[in-house]
Amino acid sequence: MDITRFKSKGFFIPGLISLVLLILLATLPLSLGGYTVVLVTTILMYAILTVSWVLFSGPSGYMSLASAAFFGVGIYIGALLLPNTGQVLPLLVVVVLGGLASSIVALGVGALTLRLRGIYFAIFTFGLVVLILEVLNWWEHTVSHIRGRFVMVVDNETIFYVMLAIFVATMLTFFFLRRSKFGLALQSIGQNEEAAAHSGVNVTMVKVLTFALSAFFVGAAGVVWATRLTYIDPYIAFNFFLSFLPVLMAIFGGIGQIYGPVVGAAIFAYLQETLQTEFPEVYMLTFGIVLVVVILYLPNGIVGLIPKLWRRISGGQHANT
Amino acid sequence: MKKRLLLIPLALLLVVSLVAIGCEAEEEKDSILIGASRPITGANAPIGDAAFGPIMALWEIKINDAGGIYVEDYGKSLPIEYIIYDDATDVGAMVRNTEKLILEDEVDILFSSCGTAFISAQAPVANKYGMVLVTAEGGATIMRDALYGLPYVFVNLPFSDHYQLPVFADMCAAAGAKTAYMITIADLHGVEYGGVAAMEFDRVGIQVLANKSVPITYTDFSLLVKDAMAADPDVFCVFAYPPIVIPVTGEMMVIGFNPPAVIMGPGGNFGFYGATFGVEAIEGVSCFAAANSKTGPEFERHFSELEALVGWPNLDWWGTPFYEPICQMWEQAIEATGTLDQDTLRDYFATHHFDTLLGDTYYEMFGEGGGLMVKETHPGEIGQWQSGIVEIVGGGDWPGVVLTSEWIYPKPPWPTP
Repeated sequence: MDITRFKSKGFFIPGLISLVLLILLATLPLSLGGYTVVLVTTILMYAILTVSWVLFSGPSGYMSLASAAFFGVGIYIGALLLPNTGQVLPLLVVVVLGGLASSIVALGVGALTLRLRGIYFAIFTFGLVVLILEVLNWWEHTVSHIRGRFVMVVDNETIFYVMLAIFVATMLTFFFLRRSKFGLALQSIGQNEEAAAHSGVNVTMVKVLTFALSAFFVGAAGVVWATRLTYIDPYIAFNFFLSFLPVLMAIFGGIGQIYGPVVGAAIFAYLQETLQTEFPEVYMLTFGIVLVVVILYLPNGIVGLIPKLWRRISGGQHANT
Repeated sequence: MKKRLLLIPLALLLVVSLVAIGCEAEEEKDSILIGASRPITGANAPIGDAAFGPIMALWEIKINDAGGIYVEDYGKSLPIEYIIYDDATDVGAMVRNTEKLILEDEVDILFSSCGTAFISAQAPVANKYGMVLVTAEGGATIMRDALYGLPYVFVNLPFSDHYQLPVFADMCAAAGAKTAYMITIADLHGVEYGGVAAMEFDRVGIQVLANKSVPITYTDFSLLVKDAMAADPDVFCVFAYPPIVIPVTGEMMVIGFNPPAVIMGPGGNFGFYGATFGVEAIEGVSCFAAANSKTGPEFERHFSELEALVGWPNLDWWGTPFYEPICQMWEQAIEATGTLDQDTLRDYFATHHFDTLLGDTYYEMFGEGGGLMVKETHPGEIGQWQSGIVEIVGGGDWPGVVLTSEWIYPKPPWPTP
């Protein structure tokens, strides 16, 4: 590997920091264990959902509210192939299958709907969550007569490491996609779709493939999450809230930087946990206020503060003139 | 360079701090810590507030006023202390709360969440960590089937085929009912009760005209109730929760749909159901219920204590007679074993009889798995609003069943507006 090439592109320091953070994260169950592992697993899950959302919606400008649908598909695949009566396939195989199932759903939906724009696309993707939920409800009620499904119990360390692996894969995909021709094509679609098409970009293919790629990680995370829930039904699997949370977390953290969605997901998940358990009466109120403040005063999210603070600390010597 | 060098001790400090958090010094035991994830907000909040919630509050007062529960391992009586987290009626939050209670708060006892889907999700989690879970609001055939693999789980509340709907179907058939119409909520509870009711009605020769499944988010029931009225059934069943049961009842009153038998549950069994419409208005509405103050002197004590606590008469005629025994059994198990060790307590629950509000109370064990409270503890299965309270009008054929009144069939008409 040509280290100097990475150094010259400014990859070395961020890459080293990321590696150290990853090693620290990977040793977490050994050093802390207990509930910290559970909490960090939750944060990783939210980070995967948020980064996956930004992967497609960030550069393309298409507001997808389908996260809950892809996550729910993964949860259901997990419940079907990892029942409490004995797993049908190894966990990692099911994780991949869950991701693929969500990707296939995204491919179908994307091919049908990615010609829609703006609010129509957002409404359709949210409608997808409701549609799958109600079809499953009908199926379980009238055909399968299954009243909820128990899922295989998996130890916390395994859940953590598999979630961490999906998170790393999501981040690497996000990182390299943004720097690829494919990523540039997606950005050009977001800036001016007609111009991109006239420049020779196959806009439909780029949008549909990225949409399916982003769904893969969400579905894979859903499989792991099913083993944490241990019992699911359609309402538990297809939780509307999870369509909006990635959007809020991305806005909160900042969409412009690669680490913005991760920071947003981490702070949001920690806030959710603390507020809901310690201050349940003001949980949603505080959430709402924090979000309004961020949108009004921090248009680049929490991470948008960092360059501002850095300029202030360094006395403005790096400020643009 | 200097700035980068500064990062090294900072990083070390962070790691040391994180490790220190995980190594808190052990403190002397001064209370029995009880953890619960409950619906303080959300759709299940009214149920939680009227069912296991008041029982928990009452038990805390009674135990702590008496000086606590004697635990031999510690050589002293320990008061009880609750850590209660709001799950906002969200299963994901409930699972997260339960893990936090077990792993971070290290509670000594885990109390039940609220709702059939919730206890179904909580049971494997409790079992995973080896925590005894005696369930409260909820119960289902799927839970019973799963008990073989859940040795730490004990289910208390009567449910669908254990033995509410077989009893209700027999009552309807004996009264001469020929047809039934069902509205069921599209979740575990609705699918469960709709399915079991269809089998039981078929067993006694009652034709099911329709089983309309409605999502939790459904709010306008006018067309559905008109459809039911047009079908002219002898028995009208609403197997859903209070947010559906209450508007359906209101709609029935508005359009004058008054079939001979109406059963609402869960919802019809709560005091707030009567308060919503006025108890005279709902005369003759049936519900799932086990006992009232007339069932026996201990039940009279039970309901009057609850009324004194919350200021409402007879909060829940179905559930609270089964929830007080949860607390009584915990107290007896801890005092008898002298420990808070979960394995020892689990074995005690599995192998011993308890003396509770319900009399001789014990569990039918499922192999090496968990337990289901035996049907012989059920004083009743079906209730009916009569003269301002729920009378117990239907029960099994085992000793200990106490019916407090005759079932009124057909039910009286709704009041004229």
